Amino acid sequence: MATSTTTAVKISTALAEYLKRDPSSIIESHHLRDDLGLDSMAVIELLYRIEEVFNIQIPDEDLVGLTTVGHVIAYVDKRLGNTQSTSASRKPSKASSKKRS
Amino acid sequence: MPARVVITGLGVVSPIGIGVSEFWKAALAGRSGITAVSSFEPFPMDGYRSRVAGQIHNFVPEQLLTGVLPERVDRYAQFALVATKEALADSHLQMEQENAHRVGVIVGAGMGGMVMGEREITQLYQQQKPHRVHPNFIPMITLNSASGIIAMAYGAKGPNLTISTACSSSAHALGQALQCIREGRADVVITVGADASITPLVFAGFCSLRALSTKYNDRPDQASRPFDKGRDGFVMGEGAGALILESAAHAKKRKAHVYAEIAGYAATSEAYHMVIPREDGEEVATTMRLALADAGITPAQVDYINAHATSTPIGDAVEAKALRHVFKARVEKIAINATKSLIGHTLGAAGAIGAIASILSVHTGRIHPTANYADPDPACALPGISRSGQERRVNTALLNAFGFGSNNAAVVLKRVTT
Repeated sequence: MATSTTTAVKISTALAEYLKRDPSSIIESHHLRDDLGLDSMAVIELLYRIEEVFNIQIPDEDLVGLTTVGHVIAYVDKRLGNTQSTSASRKPSKASSKKRS
Repeated sequence: MPARVVITGLGVVSPIGIGVSEFWKAALAGRSGITAVSSFEPFPMDGYRSRVAGQIHNFVPEQLLTGVLPERVDRYAQFALVATKEALADSHLQMEQENAHRVGVIVGAGMGGMVMGEREITQLYQQQKPHRVHPNFIPMITLNSASGIIAMAYGAKGPNLTISTACSSSAHALGQALQCIREGRADVVITVGADASITPLVFAGFCSLRALSTKYNDRPDQASRPFDKGRDGFVMGEGAGALILESAAHAKKRKAHVYAEIAGYAATSEAYHMVIPREDGEEVATTMRLALADAGITPAQVDYINAHATSTPIGDAVEAKALRHVFKARVEKIAINATKSLIGHTLGAAGAIGAIASILSVHTGRIHPTANYADPDPACALPGISRSGQERRVNTALLNAFGFGSNNAAVVLKRVTT
Protein backbone atom coordinates (compact mmCIF):
# COMPACT_ATOMS: atom_id res chain seq x y z
CA MET A 1 0.00 0.00 0.00
CA ALA A 2 1.31 3.46 -0.86
CA THR A 3 1.88 5.85 1.96
CA SER A 4 0.44 9.32 1.88
CA THR A 5 3.92 10.75 1.41
CA THR A 6 4.72 8.73 -1.68
CA THR A 7 1.28 9.46 -3.09
CA ALA A 8 1.84 13.17 -2.54
CA VAL A 9 5.26 13.03 -4.18
CA LYS A 10 3.96 11.13 -7.18
CA ILE A 11 1.04 13.50 -7.64
CA SER A 12 3.20 16.59 -7.23
CA THR A 13 5.64 15.14 -9.74
CA ALA A 14 2.88 14.35 -12.25
CA LEU A 15 1.44 17.83 -11.76
CA ALA A 16 4.85 19.47 -12.07
CA GLU A 17 5.59 17.57 -15.28
CA TYR A 18 2.22 18.58 -16.66
CA LEU A 19 2.64 22.23 -15.69
CA LYS A 20 6.34 22.24 -16.56
CA ARG A 21 7.30 23.73 -13.18
CA ASP A 22 9.26 22.83 -10.06
CA PRO A 23 7.45 20.19 -7.88
CA SER A 24 8.47 22.05 -4.72
CA SER A 25 6.44 25.06 -5.87
CA ILE A 26 3.24 23.03 -5.68
CA ILE A 27 1.53 22.80 -2.30
CA GLU A 28 -1.48 20.81 -1.15
CA SER A 29 -3.65 23.85 -0.58
CA HIS A 30 -3.28 24.95 -4.20
CA HIS A 31 -6.60 25.12 -5.97
CA LEU A 32 -6.28 23.37 -9.32
CA ARG A 33 -8.15 26.08 -11.21
CA ASP A 34 -7.60 29.26 -9.21
CA ASP A 35 -3.97 28.73 -8.16
CA LEU A 36 -2.55 26.44 -10.82
CA GLY A 37 -4.59 27.72 -13.77
CA LEU A 38 -6.00 24.37 -14.84
CA ASP A 39 -9.22 24.63 -16.80
CA SER A 40 -11.71 21.75 -16.74
CA MET A 41 -10.02 20.10 -19.74
CA ALA A 42 -6.62 20.39 -18.11
CA VAL A 43 -7.95 18.77 -14.92
CA ILE A 44 -9.19 15.86 -17.02
CA GLU A 45 -5.78 15.55 -18.67
CA LEU A 46 -4.10 15.57 -15.25
CA LEU A 47 -6.40 12.92 -13.84
CA TYR A 48 -5.74 10.80 -16.93
CA ARG A 49 -2.06 10.86 -15.98
CA ILE A 50 -2.81 10.11 -12.35
CA GLU A 51 -4.95 7.14 -13.34
CA GLU A 52 -1.94 5.77 -15.18
CA VAL A 53 0.56 6.47 -12.42
CA PHE A 54 -1.56 4.73 -9.76
CA ASN A 55 -3.29 2.21 -12.01
CA ILE A 56 -6.74 3.28 -10.87
CA GLN A 57 -9.89 4.44 -12.62
CA ILE A 58 -11.58 7.60 -11.38
CA PRO A 59 -15.34 7.56 -12.02
CA ASP A 60 -16.97 10.74 -13.34
CA GLU A 61 -18.97 11.22 -10.16
CA ASP A 62 -15.76 11.54 -8.12
CA LEU A 63 -14.39 14.44 -10.16
CA VAL A 64 -16.55 17.02 -8.43
CA GLY A 65 -14.67 16.73 -5.15
CA LEU A 66 -11.23 17.10 -6.65
CA THR A 67 -10.57 20.82 -6.62
CA THR A 68 -7.26 21.14 -4.75
CA VAL A 69 -3.96 19.28 -4.84
CA GLY A 70 -4.72 18.04 -1.32
CA HIS A 71 -8.10 16.68 -2.42
CA VAL A 72 -6.45 14.71 -5.18
CA ILE A 73 -3.80 13.28 -2.83
CA ALA A 74 -6.41 12.32 -0.22
CA TYR A 75 -8.66 10.81 -2.86
CA VAL A 76 -5.90 8.71 -4.37
CA ASP A 77 -4.72 7.60 -0.93
CA LYS A 78 -8.22 6.54 -0.07
CA ARG A 79 -8.56 4.66 -3.32
CA LEU A 80 -5.28 2.86 -2.78
CA GLY A 81 -6.20 1.87 0.76
CA ASN A 82 -9.88 1.17 0.19
CA THR A 83 -11.16 -0.42 -3.00
CA GLN A 84 -14.82 0.30 -2.19
CA SER A 85 -16.57 3.01 -4.13
CA THR A 86 -15.94 6.50 -2.83
CA SER A 87 -18.78 8.01 -4.73
CA ALA A 88 -21.84 6.56 -3.09
CA SER A 89 -22.60 9.62 -1.03
CA ARG A 90 -21.85 12.20 -3.73
CA LYS A 91 -24.18 13.70 -6.23
CA PRO A 92 -23.26 12.69 -9.77
CA SER A 93 -21.68 15.52 -11.70
CA LYS A 94 -20.58 14.88 -15.25
CA ALA A 95 -17.29 16.55 -16.05
CA SER A 96 -18.40 16.79 -19.63
CA SER A 97 -21.46 18.87 -18.85
CA LYS A 98 -19.67 22.11 -19.66
CA LYS A 99 -18.33 20.94 -22.99
CA ARG A 100 -19.87 22.12 -26.21
CA SER A 101 -20.91 19.13 -28.29
CA MET B 1 -20.45 45.35 -56.75
CA PRO B 2 -18.70 42.53 -54.86
CA ALA B 3 -15.47 43.39 -53.09
CA ARG B 4 -12.20 42.64 -54.85
CA VAL B 5 -10.02 40.34 -52.80
CA VAL B 6 -6.25 40.43 -52.48
CA ILE B 7 -3.56 38.36 -50.79
CA THR B 8 -1.33 40.16 -48.34
CA GLY B 9 0.53 37.45 -46.45
CA LEU B 10 2.01 34.01 -47.09
CA GLY B 11 3.28 31.21 -44.88
CA VAL B 12 4.39 27.69 -45.66
CA VAL B 13 5.58 24.50 -44.00
CA SER B 14 6.80 22.04 -46.61
CA PRO B 15 9.19 19.16 -47.24
CA ILE B 16 11.54 21.59 -49.02
CA GLY B 17 11.45 24.33 -46.45
CA ILE B 18 9.75 25.79 -43.43
CA GLY B 19 9.08 29.40 -44.32
CA VAL B 20 8.31 31.01 -47.68
CA SER B 21 11.85 32.13 -48.38
CA GLU B 22 13.38 28.68 -47.85
CA PHE B 23 10.53 27.00 -49.75
CA TRP B 24 10.78 29.31 -52.75
CA LYS B 25 14.55 29.14 -52.98
CA ALA B 26 14.41 25.33 -53.00
CA ALA B 27 11.51 25.29 -55.46
CA LEU B 28 13.32 27.53 -57.95
CA ALA B 29 16.37 25.29 -57.65
CA GLY B 30 14.16 22.27 -58.39
CA ARG B 31 15.21 20.60 -55.16
CA SER B 32 13.18 17.50 -54.31
CA GLY B 33 11.82 16.96 -50.80
CA ILE B 34 11.05 13.31 -51.44
CA THR B 35 12.99 10.82 -49.33
CA ALA B 36 12.71 7.24 -48.10
CA VAL B 37 9.90 6.98 -45.53
CA SER B 38 11.45 7.20 -42.09
CA SER B 39 8.65 7.62 -39.63
CA PHE B 40 7.28 4.10 -39.33
CA GLU B 41 10.17 2.64 -37.32
CA PRO B 42 10.02 0.06 -35.80
CA PHE B 43 7.23 -0.73 -38.25
CA PRO B 44 8.83 -2.74 -41.09
CA MET B 45 8.67 -0.87 -44.39
CA ASP B 46 9.05 -3.96 -46.55
CA GLY B 47 5.33 -4.63 -46.28
CA TYR B 48 4.65 -1.36 -48.09
CA ARG B 49 4.70 -1.27 -51.86
CA SER B 50 5.62 2.41 -51.82
CA ARG B 51 8.41 3.54 -49.50
CA VAL B 52 8.97 7.17 -50.45
CA ALA B 53 7.30 10.37 -49.28
CA GLY B 54 7.68 14.10 -48.87
CA GLN B 55 8.13 14.23 -45.11
CA ILE B 56 9.14 17.25 -43.06
CA HIS B 57 12.13 16.08 -41.08
CA ASN B 58 13.17 19.28 -39.32
CA PHE B 59 9.85 20.32 -37.78
CA VAL B 60 10.32 20.82 -34.03
CA PRO B 61 6.96 21.95 -32.64
CA GLU B 62 8.41 23.03 -29.29
CA GLN B 63 10.62 25.54 -31.13
CA LEU B 64 8.05 26.73 -33.63
CA LEU B 65 4.77 26.95 -31.72
CA THR B 66 3.99 29.77 -29.34
CA GLY B 67 1.09 29.93 -26.92
CA VAL B 68 -0.07 26.39 -27.66
CA LEU B 69 0.88 23.13 -26.00
CA PRO B 70 2.21 20.90 -28.81
CA GLU B 71 0.75 17.80 -27.18
CA ARG B 72 -2.75 19.26 -27.50
CA VAL B 73 -2.47 19.84 -31.24
CA ASP B 74 -2.07 17.15 -33.90
CA ARG B 75 0.79 17.44 -36.39
CA TYR B 76 -1.38 18.80 -39.22
CA ALA B 77 -2.71 21.57 -36.98
CA GLN B 78 0.81 22.32 -35.76
CA PHE B 79 1.80 22.84 -39.40
CA ALA B 80 -1.27 25.05 -39.88
CA LEU B 81 -0.40 27.17 -36.85
CA VAL B 82 3.21 27.68 -37.92
CA ALA B 83 2.21 28.61 -41.49
CA THR B 84 -0.44 31.00 -40.13
CA LYS B 85 2.06 32.66 -37.81
CA GLU B 86 4.34 33.40 -40.77
CA ALA B 87 1.51 34.60 -43.02
CA LEU B 88 0.12 36.96 -40.38
CA ALA B 89 3.55 38.39 -39.65
CA ASP B 90 4.12 38.80 -43.40
CA SER B 91 0.81 40.65 -43.77
CA HIS B 92 1.56 43.00 -40.85
CA LEU B 93 -2.07 42.63 -39.83
CA GLN B 94 -2.48 43.88 -36.27
CA MET B 95 -5.30 41.87 -34.75
CA GLU B 96 -5.76 44.34 -31.89
CA GLN B 97 -6.61 47.01 -34.46
CA GLU B 98 -9.15 44.82 -36.28
CA ASN B 99 -12.81 44.18 -35.58
CA ALA B 100 -12.32 40.56 -34.46
CA HIS B 101 -15.71 39.52 -35.84
CA ARG B 102 -14.60 40.65 -39.31
CA VAL B 103 -11.59 38.29 -39.34
CA GLY B 104 -12.44 34.73 -40.33
CA VAL B 105 -10.53 31.47 -40.58
CA ILE B 106 -11.11 28.87 -43.28
CA VAL B 107 -9.00 25.73 -43.28
CA GLY B 108 -8.86 22.99 -45.88
CA ALA B 109 -7.88 19.58 -44.51
CA GLY B 110 -8.33 16.22 -46.15
CA MET B 111 -7.40 13.81 -43.39
CA GLY B 112 -6.93 15.86 -40.21
CA GLY B 113 -5.50 14.52 -36.97
CA MET B 114 -4.43 11.10 -38.10
CA VAL B 115 -1.29 10.89 -35.96
CA MET B 116 -3.32 10.96 -32.75
CA GLY B 117 -6.13 8.98 -34.37
CA GLU B 118 -3.98 6.04 -35.35
CA ARG B 119 -2.09 5.97 -32.06
CA GLU B 120 -5.22 5.83 -29.93
CA ILE B 121 -7.05 3.33 -32.12
CA THR B 122 -4.01 1.04 -32.11
CA GLN B 123 -3.66 1.22 -28.33
CA LEU B 124 -7.34 0.65 -27.75
CA TYR B 125 -7.45 -2.46 -29.90
CA GLN B 126 -4.17 -3.84 -28.54
CA GLN B 127 -4.73 -3.12 -24.85
CA GLN B 128 -8.54 -3.23 -24.73
CA LYS B 129 -8.61 -0.46 -22.12
CA PRO B 130 -11.26 2.04 -23.17
CA HIS B 131 -10.58 4.16 -20.08
CA ARG B 132 -7.02 4.75 -21.36
CA VAL B 133 -8.14 6.50 -24.55
CA HIS B 134 -6.57 9.94 -24.25
CA PRO B 135 -8.93 12.76 -23.22
CA ASN B 136 -7.59 14.84 -26.11
CA PHE B 137 -8.37 12.19 -28.70
CA ILE B 138 -11.68 13.78 -29.75
CA PRO B 139 -10.57 17.44 -29.66
CA MET B 140 -7.48 16.56 -31.70
CA ILE B 141 -9.08 14.39 -34.37
CA THR B 142 -12.08 16.64 -34.83
CA LEU B 143 -11.55 17.85 -38.38
CA ASN B 144 -11.97 21.51 -37.50
CA SER B 145 -9.34 21.42 -34.76
CA ALA B 146 -6.91 23.49 -36.86
CA SER B 147 -9.42 26.22 -37.76
CA GLY B 148 -10.53 26.36 -34.14
CA ILE B 149 -7.06 26.61 -32.67
CA ILE B 150 -5.99 29.27 -35.19
CA ALA B 151 -8.97 31.42 -34.20
CA MET B 152 -8.11 30.95 -30.52
CA ALA B 153 -4.44 31.75 -31.09
CA TYR B 154 -5.21 35.07 -32.80
CA GLY B 155 -8.65 36.04 -31.52
CA ALA B 156 -10.28 35.78 -34.94
CA LYS B 157 -14.02 35.74 -34.22
CA GLY B 158 -15.41 35.85 -37.75
CA PRO B 159 -16.64 32.88 -39.79
CA ASN B 160 -14.68 29.78 -38.81
CA LEU B 161 -14.95 26.90 -41.22
CA THR B 162 -13.21 23.73 -42.25
CA ILE B 163 -13.54 22.43 -45.77
CA SER B 164 -12.77 18.80 -46.46
CA THR B 165 -12.79 17.78 -50.09
CA ALA B 166 -9.74 15.50 -50.01
CA CYS B 167 -6.98 16.79 -52.29
CA SER B 168 -8.91 19.88 -53.35
CA SER B 169 -9.67 20.99 -49.76
CA SER B 170 -7.56 24.10 -49.62
CA ALA B 171 -8.33 25.24 -53.17
CA HIS B 172 -11.94 25.15 -52.03
CA ALA B 173 -10.93 26.94 -48.82
CA LEU B 174 -9.42 29.73 -50.93
CA GLY B 175 -12.56 29.91 -53.04
CA GLN B 176 -14.87 29.99 -50.06
CA ALA B 177 -12.71 32.65 -48.41
CA LEU B 178 -12.99 34.69 -51.62
CA GLN B 179 -16.78 34.32 -51.55
CA CYS B 180 -16.92 35.20 -47.88
CA ILE B 181 -15.10 38.51 -48.43
CA ARG B 182 -16.94 39.25 -51.68
CA GLU B 183 -20.24 38.87 -49.86
CA GLY B 184 -19.09 41.26 -47.17
CA ARG B 185 -19.15 38.72 -44.35
CA ALA B 186 -15.53 39.40 -43.41
CA ASP B 187 -12.73 41.87 -44.18
CA VAL B 188 -9.99 39.32 -43.70
CA VAL B 189 -9.93 35.53 -43.91
CA ILE B 190 -6.92 33.55 -42.71
CA THR B 191 -6.98 30.76 -45.29
CA VAL B 192 -5.01 27.61 -44.67
CA GLY B 193 -4.50 24.15 -46.11
CA ALA B 194 -2.89 21.49 -43.94
CA ASP B 195 -2.42 17.73 -43.76
CA ALA B 196 0.03 15.39 -42.04
CA SER B 197 -1.07 11.85 -42.66
CA ILE B 198 2.07 9.98 -43.65
CA THR B 199 1.12 7.48 -40.99
CA PRO B 200 1.28 3.67 -41.03
CA LEU B 201 -2.45 3.23 -41.68
CA VAL B 202 -3.12 6.04 -44.16
CA PHE B 203 0.04 5.27 -46.09
CA ALA B 204 -0.99 1.60 -46.27
CA GLY B 205 -4.44 2.66 -47.43
CA PHE B 206 -3.06 4.66 -50.34
CA CYS B 207 -0.73 1.74 -51.16
CA SER B 208 -3.70 -0.61 -51.23
CA LEU B 209 -5.54 1.79 -53.48
CA ARG B 210 -2.59 1.41 -55.89
CA ALA B 211 -2.39 5.18 -55.99
CA LEU B 212 1.25 5.62 -54.95
CA SER B 213 4.50 5.41 -56.89
CA THR B 214 6.31 2.09 -56.32
CA LYS B 215 8.98 1.98 -59.03
CA TYR B 216 11.34 4.52 -57.51
CA ASN B 217 11.74 3.29 -53.93
CA ASP B 218 15.51 3.24 -54.42
CA ARG B 219 15.50 6.70 -56.06
CA PRO B 220 13.08 8.75 -53.94
CA ASP B 221 13.81 12.09 -55.58
CA GLN B 222 12.72 10.65 -58.94
CA ALA B 223 9.42 9.18 -57.76
CA SER B 224 7.20 12.23 -58.30
CA ARG B 225 7.31 12.91 -62.04
CA PRO B 226 4.14 14.61 -63.29
CA PHE B 227 3.50 14.46 -67.04
CA ASP B 228 6.55 12.20 -67.52
CA LYS B 229 6.21 8.89 -69.34
CA GLY B 230 7.77 7.03 -66.41
CA ARG B 231 5.27 8.24 -63.77
CA ASP B 232 3.55 5.49 -61.83
CA GLY B 233 1.53 7.09 -59.07
CA PHE B 234 1.66 9.97 -56.65
CA VAL B 235 4.01 10.44 -53.73
CA MET B 236 2.50 11.39 -50.39
CA GLY B 237 3.62 14.67 -48.89
CA GLU B 238 2.75 16.65 -45.78
CA GLY B 239 2.68 20.32 -44.93
CA ALA B 240 0.65 23.49 -44.74
CA GLY B 241 0.17 26.71 -46.63
CA ALA B 242 -1.42 29.85 -45.20
CA LEU B 243 -2.62 32.93 -47.07
CA ILE B 244 -4.08 36.15 -45.73
CA LEU B 245 -7.01 37.15 -47.93
CA GLU B 246 -8.61 40.53 -47.47
CA SER B 247 -10.76 42.97 -49.34
CA ALA B 248 -8.75 45.28 -51.56
CA ALA B 249 -10.30 48.24 -49.75
CA HIS B 250 -9.23 46.90 -46.38
CA ALA B 251 -5.70 46.24 -47.61
CA LYS B 252 -5.51 49.72 -49.10
CA LYS B 253 -6.76 51.34 -45.93
CA ARG B 254 -4.02 49.78 -43.85
CA LYS B 255 -1.41 50.27 -46.61
CA ALA B 256 -0.69 46.54 -46.80
CA HIS B 257 1.72 45.00 -49.27
CA VAL B 258 -0.31 43.11 -51.87
CA TYR B 259 1.08 39.98 -53.53
CA ALA B 260 -1.76 39.33 -55.95
CA GLU B 261 -5.50 39.43 -56.42
CA ILE B 262 -7.58 36.28 -56.09
CA ALA B 263 -9.99 37.01 -58.89
CA GLY B 264 -11.96 33.87 -59.67
CA TYR B 265 -13.02 30.50 -58.39
CA ALA B 266 -15.11 27.56 -59.44
CA ALA B 267 -16.15 24.36 -57.72
CA THR B 268 -17.83 21.46 -59.45
CA SER B 269 -18.52 17.80 -58.91
CA GLU B 270 -18.04 15.24 -61.65
CA ALA B 271 -20.73 13.16 -59.93
CA TYR B 272 -18.90 10.25 -61.44
CA HIS B 273 -16.56 8.13 -59.27
CA MET B 274 -14.98 8.31 -55.79
CA VAL B 275 -11.39 8.10 -57.04
CA ILE B 276 -11.35 8.04 -60.86
CA PRO B 277 -11.69 11.20 -62.96
CA ARG B 278 -13.78 11.27 -66.10
CA GLU B 279 -11.35 10.37 -68.85
CA ASP B 280 -12.64 12.87 -71.40
CA GLY B 281 -11.55 15.76 -69.15
CA GLU B 282 -14.79 17.64 -69.84
CA GLU B 283 -15.65 18.24 -66.19
CA VAL B 284 -12.16 19.48 -65.39
CA ALA B 285 -12.37 21.76 -68.44
CA THR B 286 -15.75 23.08 -67.30
CA THR B 287 -14.31 23.89 -63.88
CA MET B 288 -11.48 25.92 -65.40
CA ARG B 289 -13.87 27.75 -67.75
CA LEU B 290 -16.16 28.65 -64.86
CA ALA B 291 -13.25 29.98 -62.79
CA LEU B 292 -12.04 32.13 -65.70
CA ALA B 293 -15.57 33.44 -66.25
CA ASP B 294 -15.86 34.22 -62.55
CA ALA B 295 -12.66 36.28 -62.85
CA GLY B 296 -14.02 37.98 -65.97
CA ILE B 297 -11.11 36.89 -68.14
CA THR B 298 -10.70 34.79 -71.27
CA PRO B 299 -8.41 31.77 -71.75
CA ALA B 300 -6.20 33.96 -73.93
CA GLN B 301 -5.24 36.03 -70.89
CA VAL B 302 -3.76 33.16 -68.87
CA ASP B 303 0.07 33.11 -68.73
CA TYR B 304 0.76 30.39 -66.22
CA ILE B 305 -0.94 27.31 -64.77
CA ASN B 306 -0.05 25.55 -61.55
CA ALA B 307 -1.39 22.13 -62.47
CA HIS B 308 -2.91 19.65 -60.05
CA ALA B 309 -0.60 17.08 -61.71
CA THR B 310 -0.10 14.46 -59.02
CA SER B 311 2.00 12.10 -61.18
CA THR B 312 -0.68 9.43 -61.56
CA PRO B 313 -0.95 7.90 -65.04
CA ILE B 314 -4.61 8.80 -65.53
CA GLY B 315 -4.86 12.08 -63.60
CA ASP B 316 -2.11 13.94 -65.46
CA ALA B 317 -3.39 12.77 -68.86
CA VAL B 318 -6.93 13.92 -68.07
CA GLU B 319 -5.72 17.31 -66.87
CA ALA B 320 -3.56 17.80 -69.99
CA LYS B 321 -6.55 16.87 -72.16
CA ALA B 322 -8.72 19.36 -70.29
CA LEU B 323 -6.10 22.09 -70.70
CA ARG B 324 -6.17 21.50 -74.45
CA HIS B 325 -9.99 21.69 -74.43
CA VAL B 326 -10.00 25.04 -72.66
CA PHE B 327 -6.97 26.80 -74.08
CA LYS B 328 -6.80 25.18 -77.50
CA ALA B 329 -3.69 26.32 -79.46
CA ARG B 330 -2.96 28.92 -76.80
CA VAL B 331 -2.04 26.13 -74.35
CA GLU B 332 1.35 25.84 -76.05
CA LYS B 333 2.21 29.40 -75.01
CA ILE B 334 1.29 28.98 -71.34
CA ALA B 335 3.92 28.15 -68.72
CA ILE B 336 2.83 25.11 -66.72
CA ASN B 337 4.39 23.47 -63.70
CA ALA B 338 3.66 20.91 -61.00
CA THR B 339 4.61 21.78 -57.43
CA LYS B 340 3.97 18.15 -56.46
CA SER B 341 7.05 17.12 -58.46
CA LEU B 342 9.09 18.72 -55.65
CA ILE B 343 7.12 18.11 -52.45
CA GLY B 344 4.81 15.24 -53.30
CA HIS B 345 1.08 15.42 -52.82
CA THR B 346 0.32 17.22 -49.59
CA LEU B 347 -3.40 16.35 -49.90
CA GLY B 348 -5.43 19.01 -48.11
CA ALA B 349 -2.47 21.41 -48.18
CA ALA B 350 -1.85 21.02 -51.92
CA GLY B 351 -4.15 23.82 -53.10
CA ALA B 352 -2.76 26.34 -50.62
CA ILE B 353 0.88 25.49 -51.31
CA GLY B 354 0.22 25.49 -55.07
CA ALA B 355 -1.45 28.89 -54.68
CA ILE B 356 1.60 30.20 -52.83
CA ALA B 357 3.88 28.99 -55.66
CA SER B 358 1.52 30.64 -58.17
CA ILE B 359 1.42 33.92 -56.27
CA LEU B 360 5.20 33.99 -55.99
CA SER B 361 5.38 33.46 -59.76
CA VAL B 362 2.96 36.35 -60.32
CA HIS B 363 5.02 38.39 -57.90
CA THR B 364 8.54 37.53 -59.09
CA GLY B 365 8.12 36.43 -62.71
CA ARG B 366 9.88 33.16 -61.92
CA ILE B 367 8.31 29.74 -62.41
CA HIS B 368 9.77 26.78 -60.57
CA PRO B 369 10.84 23.67 -62.49
CA THR B 370 8.76 20.52 -62.82
CA ALA B 371 11.19 17.93 -61.48
CA ASN B 372 11.71 14.67 -63.36
CA TYR B 373 9.95 15.81 -66.51
CA ALA B 374 12.60 13.94 -68.45
CA ASP B 375 10.65 11.93 -70.99
CA PRO B 376 7.41 13.76 -71.85
CA ASP B 377 4.44 11.44 -72.09
CA PRO B 378 2.77 12.05 -75.49
CA ALA B 379 -0.58 11.71 -73.70
CA CYS B 380 0.08 14.85 -71.70
CA ALA B 381 3.13 16.59 -73.12
CA LEU B 382 2.75 20.35 -73.34
CA PRO B 383 5.51 22.72 -74.46
CA GLY B 384 5.01 24.98 -71.46
CA ILE B 385 6.17 22.35 -68.98
CA SER B 386 9.84 22.72 -68.14
CA ARG B 387 12.18 20.84 -65.85
CA SER B 388 14.57 23.74 -65.68
CA GLY B 389 12.28 26.55 -64.59
CA GLN B 390 11.22 29.64 -66.50
CA GLU B 391 11.26 33.39 -66.27
CA ARG B 392 8.38 35.38 -67.67
CA ARG B 393 5.95 38.05 -66.63
CA VAL B 394 2.83 36.43 -65.20
CA ASN B 395 -0.23 38.61 -65.20
CA THR B 396 -2.75 35.85 -64.70
CA ALA B 397 -2.29 32.42 -63.14
CA LEU B 398 -4.67 29.50 -62.86
CA LEU B 399 -4.50 26.93 -60.08
CA ASN B 400 -6.11 23.53 -60.43
CA ALA B 401 -7.02 21.11 -57.66
CA PHE B 402 -9.01 17.91 -57.89
CA GLY B 403 -10.02 15.58 -55.10
CA PHE B 404 -11.40 12.16 -54.32
CA GLY B 405 -15.14 12.31 -54.12
CA SER B 406 -15.36 13.58 -57.71
CA ASN B 407 -14.39 17.13 -56.72
CA ASN B 408 -12.84 19.79 -58.91
CA ALA B 409 -11.73 23.32 -58.05
CA ALA B 410 -9.95 26.06 -59.97
CA VAL B 411 -8.71 29.43 -58.73
CA VAL B 412 -7.58 32.46 -60.74
CA LEU B 413 -4.83 34.74 -59.41
CA LYS B 414 -3.93 38.07 -60.99
CA ARG B 415 -1.13 40.56 -60.84
CA VAL B 416 -2.18 43.74 -59.09
CA THR B 417 -1.18 46.95 -60.78
CA THR B 418 -0.93 49.94 -58.51
